[in-house]
Amino acid sequence: MTTVLAYLDPGSGSMILQIIAGGLAAVAVTAKLYWNRLLRFLRIKKDDPETVEADRPRSSDAA
Amino acid sequence: MSTSSVPTGLEPGSFRDPESRVFYAGDDVFRALSADGLSDFEALEATGLLDGERVVPTERADGGADAAGLLVHEPAAILRHERIPFVSYPYEWTFSMLKDASLLQLDLLLAALEHDMVLKDSTPYNVQFKGARPTFVDVGSFERLRQGEPWVGYRQFCMLYLYPLLLQSAKGVPFQPWLRGSIDGITPTQMRGLMSFRDRFRKGVFTNVFLHARLEARYADRPQQVKDEVKRVFKKELFVANVRKMRKLVQRLEWSPPEGVWTAYGERNSYTDDDARRKDEFVRDVAKSRDWKLVWDIGANNGRYSRIAAEGAKTVVAVDADQGPVELLYRDLRDEGNEQILPLTMNLADPSPGLGWRGLERKSMPDRGKPDLVLALALVHHVAISANVPVREFIGWLAWLGSALVIEFPTREDPMVKQLLAPKRDGLHPDYELDYFERTLKEAFEVERSERLESGTRVLYYARPKR
Repeated sequence: MTTVLAYLDPGSGSMILQIIAGGLAAVAVTAKLYWNRLLRFLRIKKDDPETVEADRPRSSDAA
Repeated sequence: MSTSSVPTGLEPGSFRDPESRVFYAGDDVFRALSADGLSDFEALEATGLLDGERVVPTERADGGADAAGLLVHEPAAILRHERIPFVSYPYEWTFSMLKDASLLQLDLLLAALEHDMVLKDSTPYNVQFKGARPTFVDVGSFERLRQGEPWVGYRQFCMLYLYPLLLQSAKGVPFQPWLRGSIDGITPTQMRGLMSFRDRFRKGVFTNVFLHARLEARYADRPQQVKDEVKRVFKKELFVANVRKMRKLVQRLEWSPPEGVWTAYGERNSYTDDDARRKDEFVRDVAKSRDWKLVWDIGANNGRYSRIAAEGAKTVVAVDADQGPVELLYRDLRDEGNEQILPLTMNLADPSPGLGWRGLERKSMPDRGKPDLVLALALVHHVAISANVPVREFIGWLAWLGSALVIEFPTREDPMVKQLLAPKRDGLHPDYELDYFERTLKEAFEVERSERLESGTRVLYYARPKR
């Protein structure tokens, strides 16, 4: 027997849902990313501290 | 109990997973592993997940016990587990207990995924409480992640964790009768039937209930096709994202007992009258008179006497029919890091039966270990008057347990008894009399000590079983 899956029946619909839910999450994350970028571009939102932090070593490398 | 066809020592609730099986020999708990099960266990050992406090202490014990014939093929290895002091089931837990168990389950899954391992199922029966600390007991549940495999336990997680929590949190409906009524929990279709249109807009409900039920109906007849397709597109990142999202969702679910329960609970340490002090002393004297292994405090309420009993006992099980005070007791014990007192909610007049396959997969309370001391304080009037259990029956049951007993009898003049009798017809409960109670008690027990409290309406007894 080639058991691709474990002893528990994962449920067909339940598996499909995980892909859809994951897809929705991916779309949401992408949308949020672009939205934040837009806000920054329009100077409505300041840069995140992480972004500043991440930028610093790069500038020192260049120096 | 009809265990005739279950081999001696075999845990009758451990058969669903063909790779591992639990059995007992002497005081020890063992697990037989198949060859595949052993490879998974070795991978688990390498992750270091077994070293923390979250998983039950486990060691290799090859040759430590005879496991021949327990699995389809000859077992490849034997493990020994630390014994849990008293086994409990999700339908005896309060809201926060089930929630904490679910978070433990998800955190272990996320930790396992970091090492390319997974939990192959998501059942709360794999979690046990040591006092107020949840511990994951099914080491055989960890396995290596296969390429393209989705979260196999997702549906089971919904049925046994998410939906019950959601039902109580969103609808105020206690989940315990639902879990006791069905060993597999609530199906997506059933859950959808329990949700209103407005509930669709609650976080997580549309996806995990409505969409889930819809997809289940639509793809039910195409399992092979779905499996192949999922295997092609599913990525580990998606798996991790889904589990993280579920964790966030469960973390947000809240339930709290009604205000009256908080008030009563808050007053638990403010008894100042002489009666309360003498009752404390009575219980304390008995608790400290011996090294009790297991004490049941039945009708534990806010756990005042469970705490006193714990001064002289290894393990105390605090049971009350009312989930409210037990929930608050659990929260306190959890915050204290208490591993000695196990709070449970169960109605003694309708106790947990044997359930599942052959009625043996889940055991009744006495089948999980009889106590050596029972506290039945401020309880007999509830059992006899509210639940109509004859006094003789109740004492007969206590005697059958074979344990020592501290019991309190509130007389008919007691305000609480008057309140319980008030709605009933005059002349009912003729057996609820101090003389009759004492006579019946003395038939089955040797009364070692008794004390009438100052107010005169309550009498305490310390009794040991005859035989």
